[in-house]
Amino acid sequence: MKRFSSCLYKKYSGSLCSIKYVSTSANIHPKTEIVAYQNNLFDNEQKRQREAVGRIEKITVKYIGVPENVTLSMNKGISTPFHCAQHISEMLVKRSGLALIDETHLWDMHRPLESDCELTFMHAQYLPDPYHFNRAYWRSCSLILGAVISKAFKTDIQPTLHSFPSPNVKSGSFVYDVELSNLPEWAPTENELRILSANMVKFAQKSYKFERLAVSEELALDIFQENKFKKEQVPNIAQQSIDKKVVLYRIDDHIEISRGPMIGNTDLLGRCSITAVHRLDTKNGHLYRFQGVSLPVNIMLNHFAYSLLEQRAKKLNAARWVDQAQNDTYVPQFSREETAV
Amino acid sequence: MNQAEVSQLVSKLRIRINPRHKNLKCPEGPQGRLNKLRKTVNALFKYERLELNYTLADETRGYAERLISEAIRHGDTHKPTMEMADYWIEEKQLIHKLFKVLVPRFNDYQTSYTMLYRAPKAYPEIVYPRSVLELRGNPFPAILPQRSDQRNFIHNVLLDEAKKAYRAEKYEEITKSLEEQRDE
Repeated sequence: MKRFSSCLYKKYSGSLCSIKYVSTSANIHPKTEIVAYQNNLFDNEQKRQREAVGRIEKITVKYIGVPENVTLSMNKGISTPFHCAQHISEMLVKRSGLALIDETHLWDMHRPLESDCELTFMHAQYLPDPYHFNRAYWRSCSLILGAVISKAFKTDIQPTLHSFPSPNVKSGSFVYDVELSNLPEWAPTENELRILSANMVKFAQKSYKFERLAVSEELALDIFQENKFKKEQVPNIAQQSIDKKVVLYRIDDHIEISRGPMIGNTDLLGRCSITAVHRLDTKNGHLYRFQGVSLPVNIMLNHFAYSLLEQRAKKLNAARWVDQAQNDTYVPQFSREETAV
Repeated sequence: MNQAEVSQLVSKLRIRINPRHKNLKCPEGPQGRLNKLRKTVNALFKYERLELNYTLADETRGYAERLISEAIRHGDTHKPTMEMADYWIEEKQLIHKLFKVLVPRFNDYQTSYTMLYRAPKAYPEIVYPRSVLELRGNPFPAILPQRSDQRNFIHNVLLDEAKKAYRAEKYEEITKSLEEQRDE
């Protein structure tokens, strides 16, 4: 029965949609070698940083919140908020997306703690205000979208990721700007968008951790040597950061520059749809702006209300794009760490 | 039609009453059932929030509602009402609470006087459905989350902004049409 239905699909899929650009197969990696090289560099640097911790020192972490206030003794430079959550409660492990250190610093779930601190966890229903979680979530959605786009196309179309603007939930959509070679005029069909949405959900459900790593400018340039846009961005970002480092994030094998913070795990992404792809004419040629809307996994919303959000996300998100970003007036704030106060 | 109106005889409760009662496990027979219900009605007036098996809570709810409703309707000078209160409330100081505390509290209510929530079962120990029965306006923290706190949740932020965008679009259309009219 199954074989029959798949034959049907094969038979008619060719005639139903004339040209398919989006690949339906999950196993096409056009740039496998580059990805392997990048990940190798990332792994080595991660290993080097872990070994550089040296003699293990203990720090005291005070957790405040449900189910109970706890004081933990953790390892300096090794233990992360995620490890603390594992010590306290499974519920915290599953729902937390972001940690708040000393009520001021936002901290990634998988970023090692550096000193004695007070710790609280943020989630989608964090009270009084989940603003910072929402921002981190939106940023993470952009990153996941980038990862999906880089794998979604057939081998003859080379997507070159450009960047995503600072997350703004109020704009109604998260965004990723991409250059697609060999596709000067592309208006995606409904089905192509649906495939992208499905890919995104499938990717997220594999529960990849967001690994954070601060690296030197040279290493970042080495990692992004094949990406003409990122190569240009790296020196600028490194210059603006306080310690001249570039912060990288990795999910699965996809590596990305962002100053963060990100949520802890991709499985916090619940409902998601890629709603539109707009063409932008910029100095660097044509870029495609991919837009989508998404809700965290434990936020329930009626399908009608969600369709309103989808409709709004179809309109062009007017967040800054390349030309504006290169003006003198625009100062991207990659350097400063985001704080809650 | 010389039939008396039912609402004149007995007040209409604001909860759903099932056509048939729920069976309780009672080795002592009908009297045992009444004793059980008296005990829980009494406890409800005393503690204002109880965790019970669902069947018992549902049965108790009807009696408690009826008692409060009668007390509001007739006051403490009405003999049958007082007799009923005397029967259902075992701790006699709670009769004072019924007429002096609960009647003023529920006087202006347009809703039911009690709330019944389904509670989680502690699998595998408890197999019967659990529930929480409470008097409204009790001093304990609310069982359900407060909706007003959810203004900043991501879906509400998105919906608010979608609403604003929609309104801005409509206003633009209206001004455009007004300008066109003026030009004509």
